[in-house]
Amino acid sequence: MPSTVVHAAVACCLAVGLLGEFYDRRALVFVLAVVLAPELDTFAGWFLDGAHRALLHNLVFTAVAVPVLLWDTTRESSWLRERFGARGVRLVWVGLFVHTFAHMLFDWSHLDGINLFYPITDRFFNLDGEAFFSTADGFTQTFIEVTTDPETGQQSVDAGQGGTTGNTHVSSPVDPSPDPEPQNVDRRAPIAVQGWQLYLIALGAFTLVAKKLQSPLPSKRDDD
Amino acid sequence: MPPTLVTVAVGVLIGVALLGPAFDWRSLALVALAAALPNLDAAVSLLVPGVTNALLHSAFVPAAAAVALYYDTERRESSWLRGRYGWYGVRVAWVAVAAYAVAGIGLDLFNIDSAAALYPLSDRYYSITGKLVLSTQEGVVQTYVEWGDGWLEVASPGTTETHHVETWLNPSAGADGDVARRLRFVDSGWQLVVVIIAAAAAPAKRLLDGGGD
Repeated sequence: MPSTVVHAAVACCLAVGLLGEFYDRRALVFVLAVVLAPELDTFAGWFLDGAHRALLHNLVFTAVAVPVLLWDTTRESSWLRERFGARGVRLVWVGLFVHTFAHMLFDWSHLDGINLFYPITDRFFNLDGEAFFSTADGFTQTFIEVTTDPETGQQSVDAGQGGTTGNTHVSSPVDPSPDPEPQNVDRRAPIAVQGWQLYLIALGAFTLVAKKLQSPLPSKRDDD
Repeated sequence: MPPTLVTVAVGVLIGVALLGPAFDWRSLALVALAAALPNLDAAVSLLVPGVTNALLHSAFVPAAAAVALYYDTERRESSWLRGRYGWYGVRVAWVAVAAYAVAGIGLDLFNIDSAAALYPLSDRYYSITGKLVLSTQEGVVQTYVEWGDGWLEVASPGTTETHHVETWLNPSAGADGDVARRLRFVDSGWQLVVVIIAAAAAPAKRLLDGGGD
């Protein structure tokens, strides 16, 4: 994972805006809990090889949750709204957004990536590449590369496919290596690696502080 | 500089987070524009060599804007900005200044592309990169800043004299001639992710606020 701290910071930045009028400390804690929850599959890695970055790191959950949530919240007597009100509906939507964008997408672009379609298919994908326009080569992108074998004429697509849960182990401080750990294994928990991760942490902190400093909307002022 | 597209995306994220009741397409576009503004110094560098990532990437620019904004909206009897655009204008102006500083300058500073944040006091480029790791064997490992001669030191690729920041407008230090120009959109996976998040967050904010459900 880019560290949990980075995920949490991006989640804060998104929550401040998307929660809108429902933004308060409790809502923020809920969103943070949602964004951190998938890391629980690290512990599953003790029993189930390769579970980390697969079991709870996929886009299948989002693909299932969105239509279910849409169905429930748009019908006449929504279970969620009746039980938790408009605030509950908002919190669940923001939670789903943050889960997908602040956690899944970032892990997709990091190390071995995530097991995008687990458990439907078992294959890790890693988003990596660049996109630019150059006067020499025109528009170029290397995220998804389609190449044609000059001899057989067969096309192959490279979208960053990696291994399966059987042969991919994404190390974490909880479970540093696929094999049983020796006594003095170095468990490393990266907080931030490279400038951009520290930057995203700073960005999350900045939005929280700025939100706190902002003056509330004057309800009856003679503007507008 | 990191690709302008990424800078704009971070600007959009700041806008979505902080505009609050002033959020609409117009204010969001203004904030995104403010985030991209510092990159115009690449154009100026065609006339004045070496000011890319320096002239408008100086922390003094948003600082001056913030002071002017504070004076106008808090210290004066009747604020020009509030009189003309109301609460909306004041909020948008503050968020735009924040986007300029945090997205426009900050993103460059935390990147090997670097920014001369203290220009013109110092023409040195700064680049805050490194890592912060907790290790059970080595304790806290931190390489972003280092203590040297009693000062906090960060990495620097050089000064405006010695270091040329390559851009598609001004690809090389000397005459450009037939040099291939490269307009970068995203350099890596995480930058693409930031762009996707920004593109999703703005309509999501509108949908959620609109009370659609």
